[in-house]
Amino acid sequence: MADPKGFMTTERETPTRRPVDVRIQDWREVYEPQSFEHLQKQAGRCMDCGIPFCHSGCPLGNLIPEWNDLIWRGDKTEAINRLHATNNFPEFTGRLCPAPCETACVVAINRDAVTIKQVELRTIEEAFDNGEVKPLAPDRITGKTVAVIGSGPAGLAAAQQLTRAGHTVAVYERADKIGGLLRYGIPEFKMEKHILDRRLVQMEKEGTRFRAGVDVGVELTGADLRKKYDAIVLAVGATKWRDLPIPGREFKGVYQAMEFLPWGNKQALGEIEVSPINVAGKHVVILGGGDTGADCLGTSIRQGAASITQLEIMPRPSDERPDSQPWPTYPMIYRVSSAHEEIDNRMFSVSTEEFLGDAEGNLRAIRIVETRFENGKFEPVEKSHKEIRADFVFLALGFTGPEQSDLISQLEVKLDDRGIIARNADFETSEEGIFVAGDAGRGQSLIVWAIAEGRSAAAAVDKYLTGETQLPSPIEPTTRQLMV
Amino acid sequence: MIRGLFFVADGGDSLRERLEEIKAEVSQAINDGAHIIVLSDRDADAEEAPIPSLLLTSAVHHHLIREKTRTKVGLVIEAGDVREVHHVALLIGYGAAAVNPYLAMETAEDLVLQGVITGITPEKAVRNLIKSLGKGVLKVMSKMGISTIASYTGAQVFEAIGLSQELVDEYFVGTTSRLGGVNLDVIAQETIARHHIAYPPGGAIPGTKRLPIGGEYQWRREGEPHLFDPETVFTLQHSTRNKRYDVFKRYTDRVNDQSTRLMTLRGLFGFNEGVRPAISIDEVESASEIIKRFSTGAMSYGSISQEAHETLAIAMNRLGGKSNTGEGGEDPERYLKMASGDSKRSAIKQVASGRFGVTSDYLVNSDDIQIKIAQGAKPGEGGQLPGNKVYPWIAKVRYSTPGVGLISPPPHHDIYSIEDLAQLIHDLKNANKNARVHVKLVAEVGVGTVAAGVSKAHADVVLISGHDGGTGASPLTSLKHAGAPWELGLAETQQTLLLNNLRDRIVVQADGQLKTGRDVAIAALLGAEEFGFATAPLVVSGCIMMRVCHLDTCPVGVATQNPELRKRFTGKPEFVETFFEYIAEEVREILASLGFKTLLEAVGHVEFLDTKRAVDHWKASGLDLSPLLTRPDVTSPLHNTSAQDHGLDAALDNQLISLSDAALKNKELVRIDLPVRNVNRTVGTMLGAEITRKHGGAGLPDDTIDVTLHGSAGQSLGAFIPRGLTIRLYGDSNDYVGKGISGGRIIVRPDEKSTFNSFENVIAGNVIGYGATSGQIMIRGVVGERFCVRNSGATAIVEGIGDHGCEYMTGGSVVVLGRTGRNFAAGMSGGRAFVLDLDPANVNTDMVDILALPEDQKEILRSLISDFAEETGSVVASELIKDWDSAIKRISLVMPRDYARVLDAMARATREGLPVDALVMEVAVNG
Repeated sequence: MADPKGFMTTERETPTRRPVDVRIQDWREVYEPQSFEHLQKQAGRCMDCGIPFCHSGCPLGNLIPEWNDLIWRGDKTEAINRLHATNNFPEFTGRLCPAPCETACVVAINRDAVTIKQVELRTIEEAFDNGEVKPLAPDRITGKTVAVIGSGPAGLAAAQQLTRAGHTVAVYERADKIGGLLRYGIPEFKMEKHILDRRLVQMEKEGTRFRAGVDVGVELTGADLRKKYDAIVLAVGATKWRDLPIPGREFKGVYQAMEFLPWGNKQALGEIEVSPINVAGKHVVILGGGDTGADCLGTSIRQGAASITQLEIMPRPSDERPDSQPWPTYPMIYRVSSAHEEIDNRMFSVSTEEFLGDAEGNLRAIRIVETRFENGKFEPVEKSHKEIRADFVFLALGFTGPEQSDLISQLEVKLDDRGIIARNADFETSEEGIFVAGDAGRGQSLIVWAIAEGRSAAAAVDKYLTGETQLPSPIEPTTRQLMV
Repeated sequence: MIRGLFFVADGGDSLRERLEEIKAEVSQAINDGAHIIVLSDRDADAEEAPIPSLLLTSAVHHHLIREKTRTKVGLVIEAGDVREVHHVALLIGYGAAAVNPYLAMETAEDLVLQGVITGITPEKAVRNLIKSLGKGVLKVMSKMGISTIASYTGAQVFEAIGLSQELVDEYFVGTTSRLGGVNLDVIAQETIARHHIAYPPGGAIPGTKRLPIGGEYQWRREGEPHLFDPETVFTLQHSTRNKRYDVFKRYTDRVNDQSTRLMTLRGLFGFNEGVRPAISIDEVESASEIIKRFSTGAMSYGSISQEAHETLAIAMNRLGGKSNTGEGGEDPERYLKMASGDSKRSAIKQVASGRFGVTSDYLVNSDDIQIKIAQGAKPGEGGQLPGNKVYPWIAKVRYSTPGVGLISPPPHHDIYSIEDLAQLIHDLKNANKNARVHVKLVAEVGVGTVAAGVSKAHADVVLISGHDGGTGASPLTSLKHAGAPWELGLAETQQTLLLNNLRDRIVVQADGQLKTGRDVAIAALLGAEEFGFATAPLVVSGCIMMRVCHLDTCPVGVATQNPELRKRFTGKPEFVETFFEYIAEEVREILASLGFKTLLEAVGHVEFLDTKRAVDHWKASGLDLSPLLTRPDVTSPLHNTSAQDHGLDAALDNQLISLSDAALKNKELVRIDLPVRNVNRTVGTMLGAEITRKHGGAGLPDDTIDVTLHGSAGQSLGAFIPRGLTIRLYGDSNDYVGKGISGGRIIVRPDEKSTFNSFENVIAGNVIGYGATSGQIMIRGVVGERFCVRNSGATAIVEGIGDHGCEYMTGGSVVVLGRTGRNFAAGMSGGRAFVLDLDPANVNTDMVDILALPEDQKEILRSLISDFAEETGSVVASELIKDWDSAIKRISLVMPRDYARVLDAMARATREGLPVDALVMEVAVNG
C-alpha cells in the first residue's frame, strides 16, 4: 500500500492554474506543471482501502489503489500498465472526467479526496514523454471486419479494443477529422488537440482505419455497411440538442452551443482566422449552467466578449455536499471551473421568457424572470422580470439522444421510449450484429462512461464474432452510477 | 519424477485418465525401488495444464494406502499453485513429505529483480518466503494442537465444503464433506478456465491485464464477491442514518440475492411458505420483543475506539438488546447511568483467555458472562492488540503496559478439559449469580458434541460462531480456510442437543456475518433463539471496511485509538437502533409469511427451509443441503424452556454471607472460622460478589471480613474476591487459588500439625492467581504450574513454583522464594518478578532481562517478605530477613524490557514536565 499515514500527514494539493490574465490571452491548457515528487506525496495519501469506493465509483473500474501505490513508489512503467489495462485513454479522462472516483474516495468522507485524476493524468503523460506508449498491434488477424460509426470516446475505445483483438476495424466520422466531441466539443484550453492526435497515431499504427468526412447513411448506406462488415458498432453519440422554443428564437444571434464551439476550436488551432460566430466586443448570454455552458464561457472570454452572463434555472447548489446526496455518490455542488475563475457572472433560479430583437432581426436582449421551484415545477416569481443585453445567446441545455439520422432508419434499429437506441444485455440492438455503445445507447453521460461503454461493447462484439472473448467488460448496459 | 499434467482439450475425462496413469506410474516406480517420488507440475504448456497439486497429492497418497505401499516412499510435491500457508498445510495434511513452491519462489525473486520489493536480495526474499510458509504451517499446527510435523503429515485435519462424496471417496478418503458438491469434471473445468488465462484460445490480446486482479482480501470489481461491497456498505449506512426503510430493502436485497454469487450456504436456502397459513403481520410479536434476542458481537475496547464501543452499548441498552465488552475489560465509569438516562454499560462481559480487566466489579456488572473458547474470525487463536493501539487509557482498562502489544494465549490456562470448563462456568456463576454464563464456540465438525458438553457443564447459553466473523486485525492465515459456516455448526448443535435431551436447558445463539432479517430467520429455523451482529452495526456506525484495524489508522474513528482520528467518528446510537429495528421488521415480515406469531415459535423448525431452490450455477449443481435440515425424531422442546441447575444452594458461601451480614451492611469487622473440604468449590466468590454489589469496585477496607478455614480447599479458592475479604487457609488447596483475585487477600499455610518442610512440599495446585488484577496471595509452600499467568496487578509470594510461571504477566509483583520451573516469564510484558537463587536457564528471556536487585526495590521487597514471614510463619522468609544483606545478593529481578522502557519514559515525563501519555506512546512505539 502507499504511505499508511499519508492521509494524516499530507493535505490535498492540485496543480495551480496559470494566472487568469495570462491564460486568457491564449487557448492553451490552463494548468501549470507539478513536480513528480509532489505528485508522489499526493498519491501517498491513498489509504489502500479494503473496499476502494473510488474503484467502484469509476465506471472503468480503474485500479486506483494499485497505481496510486505504484506512483508513490515511483514505478511509472508498471503504473501505466495498470492504468492502460482498464482505460484506453487516460489522457482524456485525466483532463475531462469530473472524477466520480474522487467524490467516492474514502478520504473524502471527512477530508479532501486523493487527487486521483491528477495521478492518472501524470501517469499517462509521463508514459508518452518516456516513449512508453507504443502501438500494441494484435498478434494475429481474425479476418472479421467491424465498422464503428462515430469517433468520439466510445467509438475510439471500441475500435482500439477490437483492433487489438485481431479484428479489422474501420471508424467512420462525418466531421472532417476524427475525434467526435473530443475534437469539436471540448475547447482547446481544456484539452489541446495534439493530445488527441498522438493517440490516433498509436491507433493507426495498431491497424485501426479511420474514415473521416464520411456521412454514413448518406454517402454509405446501412445496407452497404451490412454487406461490408461482419459487425457494426453504433457510437453516434447523443447529439440531438435541447432547444428553447420561446418567442424570438429566430433572431440572429441565438445559437446552440454546439454550433458555436467547433468554430472556436478551429480558431484556436489557427485553421481559421476568425470564427463565423465571433463574439469579440459583444455581449454574450449563456443559457445552461453545465460543462457545455462553461465551455462556451471560456471560448467567449478568449474571443474577447464585452460581457458574459451565464443563466441557470436551478437554484445555486450548496458549497458542501447536501444530505440528500451522501458520500460516495456524485453530488451536485457549486463548482468553479477554470472558465468561472476567469469570469464568473452566474445567475441562478432564472428562466428566459423571450428573446428580444431589433428591426433587422438581430438579437439585442433577453427577458428573464426569477423562478421558484414549487409543486414539482418552476414557477415565475412575480415582478421579477428583467432584461439583459445580449448580442449572442448560446443554448447549452443538454442533449436528448441520438439524431434521427438516415443511418438509424436504414439499419432499422429500434429506439426505446427515451429516444435512445434500444439494446440487450450484450449491447446488441434490435438487429443482429449491430451493437451500440456510448451516449447513443445510454443517453447523455460522461466521457468515462463512454470509454467504459466502448470497452464493454467491444467485448460483446468479440464474443459475437468469435464465440468467446478475453476482452474485459467493465460495465453492463444497465449499470448506473451509485445513487440514493 | 512423475509429471502432474493433463491435456486440456479432453476436459474431465483427460484428468481422470491421467490420474489413473499417474497411479500406475507411481506403483511401477515403487516396484523399481524408488524411495522418493517427486510429483511435479512443471513444464505446462498450451496443451497440458497442471493438475491441482492437492488433488494430485491426495490421489497418489490414497492410491498407495490402498496398495499398502504408502510407507515405502516419501512424496515430494513440486507445484506452481502453492503460494499460501494454507496450501502447504493441505499438501502436508494429505501426505506430502516436502513441498517445492517453485512458482512462488520465482515470483519472490522476480519481484526483487523488478524492483517492486527493495532493500533485499532475491536469495533473501526467497528464504523469507520459505521461512514464513514454514512458520505459518507451524502456527496452523499449533492451532490444531499438533506439535510434530510427523503427526501432521497425512493427518487430514480438514473439512471439505462443496466436494462430492464420489470425489472424496476416490481421492480424499476419510475427509468430511457433509454437503456434497463438485466432481472431477468441475475441477477440470475450473483448471481449464485458469489455463485459458495463460493460453487464451484465441491468442493473447495486447494491452489487457496480464493477471487477474484477485480481490480475496480487498474488494475488487472483477475479483471475488464480498457481502460487503460499495453498494451494500453505502445503502446500509444511508438507510440507517436517514431512516429509509426503502433503501434498507435495497441493502438486504443485494445481500440476500446470491443466486449468481454463491457466497454463503444460507444463500442457497429458500423458505417453505404454505406449511402453515400466512398470518397478518399485526399478529406477529413486536419488533421490540424480537430485538431483545439481539446482541452486538464481542469487539474489545482497544480494538475499536471508545466512541464506537459506547455507541453500540448505548444503542443496545436503549433497545433492550445486549452489547458485548469483548475481551478488553471495561472502564468502571461505564457501569454508572449517564445524566441523559442512557447507559454505556455492556450487558455481556466477555471472559477470554487474556482475562483483561476481569475483576469482581466487572463480573458483578453483567447480565451475561461470555467465556470465549474460540472466535469465528480466527479460530484457534487468541485476540491480538498490536502495541501501537495500546494507548495509556487502553492499558489502564486492560491492566497492561502502554505500547506493548497484547496477545491473548490461544487456550484458557484454566481450561484443559470439559471438567475445567465446567469449573470456570461454576466460578463465574458464583461471581455473579444473576448473570447467564455463555460459552462461545466456533462452528466446525464436532461442534455439536462440544455444545452437548457445554450444556452438561451447565452453561446457560452456547454461542455458535461462524467462520466468517469479521475482524480487520486477524492474521491472514486465520481469515480464510479456518472454521466452518454457522449454518453447519448450528444445525449440528441443534441436532446433537436434541438427540441427547439437552436442548431444553440451554439457549443457543448464532453469529457470524448476520446481516439481514432473512439471515436471522434462517438461523432461527436451524435452531438459534438469540442472534449476534458485529460487522453490520459497526458499518452502521461508520466502518467502511478499510481492513487496517491493526495499523491504528482507521480514517473514520472506528478501529483506532488515535485521538485525532477518533474525532472523525460519526456514528450515533440512533443509527444502530434503526438498524436493529429494521432487521426486526424484516424478521416480522418473514414470520408472518411463514405463519409464526413469535420468533421463538420458529426456532428449530427446519422443515420451513427449502434447499431445492434452483441455483443456476455450474459449481452448485452437486450440493445437497439436506443434512442441515434433519430434525431428530424426538418430542422434547426445540428451544430453551428451563434453567440450568448450578448447585449454588449447597455452597459454603451461603453460610459465609449470612455470617458476614454486619460487614456487608455496616462495614463492621467480621471474623469467621470454619472447616473446609475439597467438595467446597469456589469458596469466597459469592461472598466477594456480595461485597462488590453492595460497596462497589473499591470493596471494603482490607481484612474487614477475615475468614479462617481449616482443611483441604476445593478448586478455585477465593476466585475473583474483592478488597475487604481475607481468606486464611490452614491446610492445602486444589487448583486455581486466587483466580482473578481483584483486591482480596488469600493466605495459605500448612496445617499447624504438619511436620514437613513447607518449602519442599506442594501445598496448592496449578494455575494459581491466573488473571489476577489486584490483591495479595501468600502461600507458604510449593505450588504447581502456570503460577500467576496473566497476573496484571496482584502481589503474590510463594516458596517455589512449577513450569511456565509468570507467563504473559502484565503487572503486579511475584516473589518466588524457591525454585522456578522451566519457561519462566515467557511473554511477560509488565510487572516484576523476584526470585531467590534464580536458575537463569529456566527463564525465557525473549521479553525480559535478569537484573540484580535494584536499590529502589530493596525496601519494598524486604517489607513484603517480612509480612509473608509474619502471616504464614515461613521459615525461608524469616531466615532471609535475619540476614538481609546476604539475602539481597541471592535475589534476582526479572524485568520485562518494554515495561522498563515505559517506566523510564514516565519518570522522564514527570521530571521534564512533558505530557506523559504522548511520551509513553512515543517511546513504546518507536523505542
